[in-house]
Parts: sequence; C-alpha cells; structure tokens
Amino acid sequence: MEYVRKLMDRVSVEGVKIELLNTAYGNGDTFLAKLDPRTPFLWYLYFGIAPWFIHDVILLFGLFFLMALTTMMSRVSPLIIGILCLGLLSQAGYLLIVSWLFGGGGETILPLLKLTLKLSVISLASITVFCSMDPEKLSDGLLSIGVPKQVSFGIAYGYRMLPSLLEEYHHIFLSFRLRGKAPERHGILYLRSIVYFLKIAVLSFYPLILSIAKRTRTTVEALETKGFSYAYQSPEVKRIKLSHMKFTRRDALFLAVSVIYVAALYVLAAQFNL
Amino acid sequence: MRDENNIVVMEGVTFTYPGAEQSVLNGVSLEIKRGDFVAVIGGNGSGKSTLCKTLNGLIPHYYVGDYEGNVQVNGLDTLKHNVAQLSRHVGYVYQDFENQLIRPTVLDDAGFAPLNYGFEDYMERGRRALRLVDLQCDPKEFIWQLSGGQKHQLALAGAISLDPDILIIDEPVAQLDPSHAGKIYDLLRNLNEFHGKTIIVIEHHTEFIAEYCKTVVLMDAGRVLWSKPVKEALRELRQLEASHIFPPQVTQAAAKVGESGNVQGTGRTGEGIGEYPVTLEEAVQYFGRFQGEHREEREGEGEAVDPLGSLEIVNSTMGLGDSISSENSINGSEPVIEVKHARFSYRTVTRERKIVLDDVSVTFNPGDLVALVGNNGAGKSSFLKLITGVTKPEAGHVRVKGVDTLRTPPEQLADMVTYIYQNPEEMFIEDSIRKDVEFFLKARSVQGYERKVDDILESFGLTELQHRDGRLLSGGQQRRASLAIGVAMNPSVILLDEPTANLDIATRKDITRLLQQLNRHVETVIVATHDMQLVAEWANRVIVMHQGRMIRNGTRESVFADADLLELAGLTAPQILELSRSLGMPQLCYTVDEFAQRWKAAGRREALAHGVCT
Repeated sequence: MEYVRKLMDRVSVEGVKIELLNTAYGNGDTFLAKLDPRTPFLWYLYFGIAPWFIHDVILLFGLFFLMALTTMMSRVSPLIIGILCLGLLSQAGYLLIVSWLFGGGGETILPLLKLTLKLSVISLASITVFCSMDPEKLSDGLLSIGVPKQVSFGIAYGYRMLPSLLEEYHHIFLSFRLRGKAPERHGILYLRSIVYFLKIAVLSFYPLILSIAKRTRTTVEALETKGFSYAYQSPEVKRIKLSHMKFTRRDALFLAVSVIYVAALYVLAAQFNL
Repeated sequence: MRDENNIVVMEGVTFTYPGAEQSVLNGVSLEIKRGDFVAVIGGNGSGKSTLCKTLNGLIPHYYVGDYEGNVQVNGLDTLKHNVAQLSRHVGYVYQDFENQLIRPTVLDDAGFAPLNYGFEDYMERGRRALRLVDLQCDPKEFIWQLSGGQKHQLALAGAISLDPDILIIDEPVAQLDPSHAGKIYDLLRNLNEFHGKTIIVIEHHTEFIAEYCKTVVLMDAGRVLWSKPVKEALRELRQLEASHIFPPQVTQAAAKVGESGNVQGTGRTGEGIGEYPVTLEEAVQYFGRFQGEHREEREGEGEAVDPLGSLEIVNSTMGLGDSISSENSINGSEPVIEVKHARFSYRTVTRERKIVLDDVSVTFNPGDLVALVGNNGAGKSSFLKLITGVTKPEAGHVRVKGVDTLRTPPEQLADMVTYIYQNPEEMFIEDSIRKDVEFFLKARSVQGYERKVDDILESFGLTELQHRDGRLLSGGQQRRASLAIGVAMNPSVILLDEPTANLDIATRKDITRLLQQLNRHVETVIVATHDMQLVAEWANRVIVMHQGRMIRNGTRESVFADADLLELAGLTAPQILELSRSLGMPQLCYTVDEFAQRWKAAGRREALAHGVCT
C-alpha cells in the first residue's frame, strides 16, 4: 500500500514533464548532440533499415551492442528506456505464451526472439538519433534534407508548446480532483481508484483542447506579424537559417568508426558461419 | 496636404468582424503624432484592440470583415500593403504575450522576425533587441524557464527586432506584478524618448498613464470620443466615469474633497477645480499648499489640536483597526489552518531541487481575511497549494481543521477547502457555467442541489449566462463564475490566487465587493495578490512572503508603514496611501473615501479652531 502511494507521488505530472523536456533538450552536451544533424540521418539510414534484412544472430547481437553503446552515449532519460523495456518485455512475454499455447517449442520461439532482437536494434537506433538531437536540430536537419517548412517548424513549435500544454493539463486535472469525489474505498487491486483516475485523465483533455484553440489565435496572428508566411516561399531565408550547419571532423570520425565496426562485425560473423 | 508630423492618420474607419452583426469600429477618425506616447482607454468592448489591429494590417488583411475607411501608417496605405510589410513599421505586443513567443529559446525568438525577413545578421538584430529591452539572461535559455516579467520583455524584444517606428502594447500591467509593470513602462519611456519610437498602449491603469503617457485617446462603442493631452484627459472625470475608467486615486481624492466646494475645508472654494492633480507629486503640492496654511496657523497651539489626529473612529468603523490575532485565536477555538515548519521544493528541468517554501509556520483563525503578498516566485501559490492537499509538505505538517493534509487526498479536503485558480479558464471543466457550479454538489449527490445552484448563480449575477461556456465569457464574467464555483462548494476556507489580475478597474471593484461578502459564507479567506489596493481595502491581516519565507505577518499598518519591507518584497503601496504618508498625516489612509473623510474632518476642526482663535 505504502509503496503504491510512494510510486504515485513519484509519477507526478510534474515529473513526467521534466523527463520529457530533458529527453528533448537536456542532452545538448553529449558527443552525439554536437554532430551535424545530417550525420545521424545518414547513420540511421543504415541502422534503422538494415536490421530488417539481417538474419544472422551474431551480426544482430553485434549491432545491438553498438546501439546500446550509442544509446548510453546519448544519455537518454530513464523514462524512455523504461517504456522501451516495458514494450520489449511484454512482447517477448506474449510471444512465449502464444508459442506455448499453440504447441510450439524452442524452434518457434527462437525466430520470434530474433525478431525481438531486430526490433530492439531499430528502436535503440531511433532513440539514439532522435533523443540526441534537440527538436531545433531535428527540425533544421529535416529542413535541410528537403522536408517542407511547415513540418520542420511544427516540430520545433510543438516542443516549445509542450511544457505549457502539460502544465495546463495538470491544472485541469487538478481542477477535477479539487471538485470531484474519489471512491471511498480503493476496491480490489485499487481497481476503483484506477478507474477514477483514468476517467479524469481522459476527461481533462476536452477542456485542454478548447483552451488551446483559444490560445492559438494569438500565435497565428503573431506568426503573421513576424513574417512567417512572408518567408514561406523564400529560398533565401532557408539558406540563412541553415547557414550554421556544417560537417566537421567529429562527423567524419563518428561515421568512420561506425563503418569500421560494422565491417568488422561482418568479418566476424562470416568466420563463425564457415 | 497630409501633415508630415502625423505617423498615424485614420479616416472614417468602420469594421465588422466576419460573422458578427454589430460593427466594432464605427467611423473612427484619429491622428497620432510622430514620437507621441499614447494611451488608448475605454470600457470593455469599446474597440481598443480592434483599433490597434487596423494599424499593422491584421485588419483588413487577416480579418476579412466589412471594412471601410482609410488608414495611413508611416505614409503607407494599409489597404495597399500586407501585414508583413506593415509589420516592419508597427510592432505589436499582445495581452496574452506568452502565446506570441514562438521559438523555444530566447535569442531564437528575438531573431525570428529578422530571419523571416531575410536579414543575414538576424542574430545580431535579435541581440540588439534584447539589449534594448534590457533582458538580462542567457540567450540560450528556454522560454518556459523565464519569469512572467522576462517573457513580457522578450515579447517586446520580438516586436522591436525589426526596428519599427510604432510600438503597440496591449495592457502591459494586467499580467505583471507592479514592480515589473513599472520596469516595462520605464523601458517604453526610454524607447520613446531616446529611440524616437511612437508608443501606443492600451491601458486601464490611469496611474501609469499619468506618469508615462503624453496623450490619451478615449474610445466608446467603437468611436473615438476625443484625443487629449494626458493631464487634461484625466481631469475629464465625468466622461471617464461613464466609460468605467477610474482616474488616479489622487485625482479622485481631490475631486471628492472638492465636491463639497471646499478643497481646504475652511469654506473657501477651491480656486483650481480644473486643476486636479494627476500624479503623486502634483497631489502632494496640491494638498500641501492648504496643509501649509493649516500648519502655520496651527503653530503654537500644541499637540491637542492636531487636526488629523483624532480620527481613529474612521478606522474602527471600517472594522480594520482591531489588532490581529495572528498566533492565538480570539476565543480559544481551534485554528482553521495550522502550518508547522512546512518545507516544499520542486525539481527543475536541470534536475536540481529548488526550495520554494522553507520552514514556514503559521496559523489561521476564523474571521481571518488574509492577503498573501510578495513578488513573483516568493512562494505564494505553492503555499496555497499545500493547503489544498494537491501537494504535500516534504517536512513539517499542514492541518486543516485538524485534518493532516499529508494523509488526505485533495478530494476529501475539498469538503473544507476551495482553491480558485489565477486563470479562471482552468476551472471550467464542463461546457456550461451551470454544470461547472453543480459539479461538486452533484459528485456528492447533495439533496436538492438545483435550488442551491440557482441561488448562487443569482447572487453572482450569472443567471443569464448559466448555459454559456465559461471559456467564451469576458474576463470579468469568468472571474465571477470562478468565484461562484468556489462558493458552491460551501467551504470553510477559500484560497484565491490573484483574483483581480487581468481585469479592468470597474470589474476589479466588482470582484472586491464580492470578496467582501465572502466572509459571510466562509471562516477564512486567503488571497495571494499583487493588487495593493485590494490589500488595503479588504484584508485584515497581511502576510509578506519573500524567497520562500514569511517575513512579515501582521496588520496592514505594519506592512505599509515599513518602507524597507515594501522595497525588499517588491511591493508598491496604493497611491492614496503614499499621498497620506507624504503629507505627513498621522494615520495612513487606505482608501480614497477614508482620505477625503479625514481631510474634510480635519478641515472642519481647523475651521472651528480658527473661529475660536479669531
């Protein structure tokens, strides 16, 4: 009981907000964060796609090891790792149950575990790339590879709004609590309380949506006065905006090490498979 | 030919928002001189913001309604130039300026407009704008880490980053605490005097207008009634009153004293009826002149005849002079709220802990009307939230009517405590006012709640509006609705966060009146506020917070008489109080009525003494 309460205290809206912001902006000083945004994109092109086509367990383990390393380097928030682990564990667990129910043995589970391994390599690669870049960098990077301006602006703006949205959501959520009535008994396995909280968690979204709609008016007008739509067509503005991006020795080093590592992996895997 | 000195020329401008039936502007004609500092005043819905939006082209280009007339801004016809072109001449700071900050970091946001206009040196322009508004923080700081005042400065920086000739600021004081508001106005004055900008503010606070502006434009029902030099304008008492504008307190005081025809109280008609003071300095001279005469005549008569000394009656009839039972309750009954050594901190984005409340101990008793004051970030809201139970103290304890908040969920405490948000919109969780007021009673299946709700809606003047969505009401109506929601919960304790922020002065008076009626329903009311007029007129106990501690807990007198304390906590006493202090009146006056009453009474005594002597 006491543990549940302590856990609830820790998993506060405030805490989630801080974790999210940290995930987005808090890792600006890592090695990976200092790369030019185009480098991770290039890198991701291989590590995000290739695992689908690799069936060699040794290769996959090697890649997994590299991804774990880069994920650690990008100092991802524990929240994200937690969510990832939860996802992978539940998937593995469900695979186990399914294969057992349908009378499969080790020979069915193995390929399924291989799939889980592939998925974790890809997930970790995504985390490395997207968590090591703050939204600004990400949006500049996307803009530079030809994604429309609205999308890249939307990403940056979405993150800028995130803290205020979370705060407002929190306020509305508390409004429900400060006027509502919680179930008097928690019920079996806290079920009643859980249902109560889930209900207000969902209900809180409606007022939030309405108030966002109201806020947006000022923002849209401000965008207009700040010349956003004026700059929309201008390639000149894009050039100025992206002029700060350039490849450095750091980028070359990162790509080179990755290539050498993967090449070595292939050699190793080939030797085992002989 | 057009006068080159006019930066804005409006001729017969009429505008109706798309879909609306009534026009918001009704044939507005107005001229604004280059380098002027203009205040646009008028009641709610008189068309002030709409007028300003015609200057940067949002009307008619962005809001395509029915538009007639001609607007020239800096020699440009607004019909022939689009918003982007006009925005290089006109900068605009919104009332809800937070929503106008678009980029995540400070320098990025300041340089956003120059970037969009294709300036290679956009960063430098952004930096220059930040210097101009004196925003001293890390240019890479995230905007959500800034305080309210800093955000306003940043919005201002964004508006001047294109170096426009005209700056429009919509209600700078509404969202800021008084010391920040003063800072913003100092900045505006600097921009006006040393950088030649023409400044237009929409403003309700005539005390700021008197001190900073040069010209006043009065609007009513979509028309410009007049445009006059500031002193002349603020003396148009009757017209201002008709538009629900309250002149500066000192002007009101002079008018009140002058009403009976004797400024000085001795029967001599005030020679300068048209010369009412509009600023504190003028008022000190104005009243001091007569006081000087009193003093000279009074010399040698001794203490006994001090004309202003024998007026404690005024104080006690207002029920405010009684000593404050801050620690021990009056009749030995249980305190309503007991806070012992409470400590609270939160984690910041950088994962550090910031202490907001540090070893706070205090008790509140039945009948306490408490004003909690102090600058932004002093810990006022955090303190209120501890009492509601939505946050728990890390050390020490908080008890409400003997119930420890640490072990009690907020839903249960809600039977005793009501918290009313600073932003009423965050309290509207249903789609009509009536449903919002009902929510608490319905959740507890109170018998016959419909009748009770009817009564409450009636007493807050919301019967007509009960089926409207709270978010679509005006600021004052929203505030009334949020109070009604609170009162419907039938609490012992009501906590209000900034109940008068963001309201025009007429609505503010209305809310103050409602607050005065609250103690009929509740035992203890605690209000966190920057509004010193509210503190002076309403509270019977004042607590000053500074950096997470309570540095003063006592009467109004103990706070307002202590200049060092006011300075430390960033508070500004109401103008009328400053006036009574400057005039050396033996007792500080908290309201205009009190001042007028004492001044007249002193005059009568004086006349009497005078009569006896001669």
